[in-house]
Amino acid sequence: MTATSAAALPQTGQITAAPRRLGAPLWVAFLLIVLAFLVIYPLLMLLFGALSDSNPVIDGFGKFRPSLDHFVKVLFNENVHLAFFNALVACGGGTVLAVTIGLAFSWIVVRTNTPFKGFIAGASMIPLFVPPLVAGVAWGILGSPKTGLLNTVFKWIGIDWRVDFYSMAGLIIVFGIYYAPYVYMFTASALRNMDPSLEEASEVSGASAFTTIFTITFPLIAPAILAGSLLSFVVMLGIYGVPAALGAPANINVLTTYIFRLTAWSPPLYNTAAAVAILLMIVTAILVWAQQRILAGKSFATVAGKAFRPRALDLGPWRWFTFGLASLYLAIVVILPTLALVIAAFRKFLFIKDFDALFDMRQYSWVHFNAVFDNPLTMKSIWNTLEVGAITAICGGALAFAIGYTVNRTRVSGRTSIDLLATLPVAIPGLVVGVAYLWAWIGLPGGLYGTIWILALAFVARFMPDTVKALSTSFLQIHKELEEAAWICGRGLLGTIRTIVLPLARPGVVASMTLLFVLAIRELGSSLFLYTSDTTVMAVLLLDYYEGGNTGKTAAFSLVQTVILAVLLGLTNWLSRGAAQSSARVG
Amino acid sequence: MSSALLIEDLAKRFTAGAKPAVDGVSFDVPPGEIVVLLGPSGCGKTTTLRCVAGLEHPTSGRISIGGRVVSEPERGVLVPPRERDIGMVFQSYAVWPHMTVRQNVAYPLKHRRAGGGNSKTDIIAKVNDTLELVGLHDYAERPVVSLSGGQMQRVALARSLVYRPQLILLDEPLSNLDAKLRVRLRDELRRILKQTGMTGLYVTHDQSEAVVLGDRIGVMRDGKLLQMAPPDEIYNRPADAFVANFTGASNVLRGRVLGRTGDKATIDLGAVGKIDAWTPQNLAAGENVRVALRAENARLGESGATNAFTCKVIERRYQGMQTVYDVDMGGQRLEVLELGTAARHTSDGEIALTLPADACWAYRDDGVAVE
Repeated sequence: MTATSAAALPQTGQITAAPRRLGAPLWVAFLLIVLAFLVIYPLLMLLFGALSDSNPVIDGFGKFRPSLDHFVKVLFNENVHLAFFNALVACGGGTVLAVTIGLAFSWIVVRTNTPFKGFIAGASMIPLFVPPLVAGVAWGILGSPKTGLLNTVFKWIGIDWRVDFYSMAGLIIVFGIYYAPYVYMFTASALRNMDPSLEEASEVSGASAFTTIFTITFPLIAPAILAGSLLSFVVMLGIYGVPAALGAPANINVLTTYIFRLTAWSPPLYNTAAAVAILLMIVTAILVWAQQRILAGKSFATVAGKAFRPRALDLGPWRWFTFGLASLYLAIVVILPTLALVIAAFRKFLFIKDFDALFDMRQYSWVHFNAVFDNPLTMKSIWNTLEVGAITAICGGALAFAIGYTVNRTRVSGRTSIDLLATLPVAIPGLVVGVAYLWAWIGLPGGLYGTIWILALAFVARFMPDTVKALSTSFLQIHKELEEAAWICGRGLLGTIRTIVLPLARPGVVASMTLLFVLAIRELGSSLFLYTSDTTVMAVLLLDYYEGGNTGKTAAFSLVQTVILAVLLGLTNWLSRGAAQSSARVG
Repeated sequence: MSSALLIEDLAKRFTAGAKPAVDGVSFDVPPGEIVVLLGPSGCGKTTTLRCVAGLEHPTSGRISIGGRVVSEPERGVLVPPRERDIGMVFQSYAVWPHMTVRQNVAYPLKHRRAGGGNSKTDIIAKVNDTLELVGLHDYAERPVVSLSGGQMQRVALARSLVYRPQLILLDEPLSNLDAKLRVRLRDELRRILKQTGMTGLYVTHDQSEAVVLGDRIGVMRDGKLLQMAPPDEIYNRPADAFVANFTGASNVLRGRVLGRTGDKATIDLGAVGKIDAWTPQNLAAGENVRVALRAENARLGESGATNAFTCKVIERRYQGMQTVYDVDMGGQRLEVLELGTAARHTSDGEIALTLPADACWAYRDDGVAVE
């Protein structure tokens, strides 16, 4: 086969020789320029900001006074230390909790005969779609020390115990329960791919079930546990919404909230923000690198492509206990916060003096929704969000397709650099992307700053690794020979892509674009630094409402945002399933 | 003396109402004996083994190990695997990749509750002895993933032998190895098991393994145990048409019973004439039967006192060490094997053919395909 294609290629090459010989380097150069513009230039500007004390807004770029002093000064600042320490504690504690929940969940779903396992597995993914700020707002309503719904309930039951989620503990708990699915995803697949006779051998050897789990099962999936916990740690580190909602009232700053506070200062401390952002980026990059190393290393548990009979432990009556545990988690992470948002959004005043007052229907109305929609910014932010989402999905999807095809399907020189540049943003938290784009465009007159496009470009850059990765998988599923057959039939490269690759990869392309769309409309971190009053998006406006202090309006808008997100998710799910089906008919 | 393993009327259904995977299997294994369960895939042999191990839960029947009932669903008895005092070698080796050879073999000694309390020096000595036995003493400190497949299987064997359980279960332990290694390890496996005096239950689909390893072989099909006997009996006196076919008697002649005295029957083969055959079944005159015959038991070119026929060679396939002839005998096809590097018969004319009565086995023709 290789012989025939090698023989056939030069022939087709000769027909279109002249444009192609120049075409490949030009194409690679084009992609590299686009990626440099999207990723490298903003990062260089961020570095420039961190290493100078000149303000781009006031001074322009003429007065670049490079000095390490500024960066060093930031590194030794006590507030930075505190924020760094808080971030480590919150994310570390959250990760421990996430690992506990995620491991328990994957064990219950993969290894036991707990009833309704499929439903539990599906529902446990819901937290991944909840925007962090919405989760933070909901838990603020539930767990605020004075008016929190949980405390009201406790008081009514007569338990002399109050919770305060405006605290480090609250931050850790909310992080832990919402990011457990990341750990679950890794450990569940590792458990599924593990040869069950490894555990059976231990049981036959005389070890108890408990000993087996801790000496065989968990050590074998240790790489997956580690990879999952590193990922969840990195994600928590880059989250702005949760610490903004729960940490700010108690004056607990983590790196992300601290960076934002620096830019909200008057005058804004853009240079300091850039320096702290670089610190955050370095920590993230190290962790991401470690995680990739673990994943690339040979995993113990997965033996080459063997199918195993799933081994479900018969728990007997205890299976209702595990079912209860799973249901409790789902209730805490899905039902309770939703209920809290609904109550807060429809009640005229959140103060509930006793439990019976909760059911006083006169207290409920649409007043908060009316207030939210009376604000002209609300509709504007919704439109802006959808517009940014659409632009991101289309531009990002097209670019990812071009990159994915070039990296996976061609042998042009320079494709490894393209791959590297496209994967780089994986190590950059959203908030850092925001600061970098701010530095990249704020000083340029007549530039992108203040338009929708700067948001879209930042999102394209931020989510490029996820999109390219999702698309590459679908490219790998199309056999190279399908393309080679089209070349031999006399099709050119572009014709082959249009008639063979694109139709076959369509489900993957649609899926990646919808993923991009959803990611873009819930993004807060990078939007924070790039919006203006004209280009405000939903997530930013929600933060505005929250910081304005009106819980009713915040909850109402949270619900609006959740409903829009749910509808879009359902729609895109339906769309991509339709695309998959129609291509199945073609294929 | 009680049996090391006693299985009585064992049945296992995976889903209620479906065909049982194991259907009324009974046999016993005296101490020190190796019993091999042989059969095609899906015959229930592995399920039987896993029921003995306690990794599957039987639907009914009773399993006793060393005189102790370990499973009897009717009385709600179900002893977990770890308390059955058994060792098991898995098809996929199941050696733990995160441990060294020594850690793998020492694991049962460290974690067994029954018969625990091994001192550190005890453990080291036992592990060393066992590694010596399987020929791996030079590899004790190696990580297990650096070993070859054959060595991994030796580790698995050592791990199940090291605590001298009452019974060792082997689930197709050689099927993941390449052919040459399989033959070597097969012979060694028997030596090791016999040397340690272990009682063994061995599952395989490979006849040559079964014959070499087993003191007795049990042939299974569709969840039923068809015959349990020493290897030479399985090979020379198969209890039914399936066992005969599965162990290699691939020639089948169709005919009708003329008469029977004891285990000798006379069968009318139609155009060919009459044939004398051995039968384990209570055949009556007039019944349709199949006569099974191994290709290597037919004697081409010989004219014996009984069961002498003539045939025509249709095709000759020279295979070096042996030659296979397709012959036609009055409209019925036979395959005949001639050993030796010289092929003596050609395909012209009629040739004498003797089918020794002792090697012709008649079974009732129940219309079910045997393959």
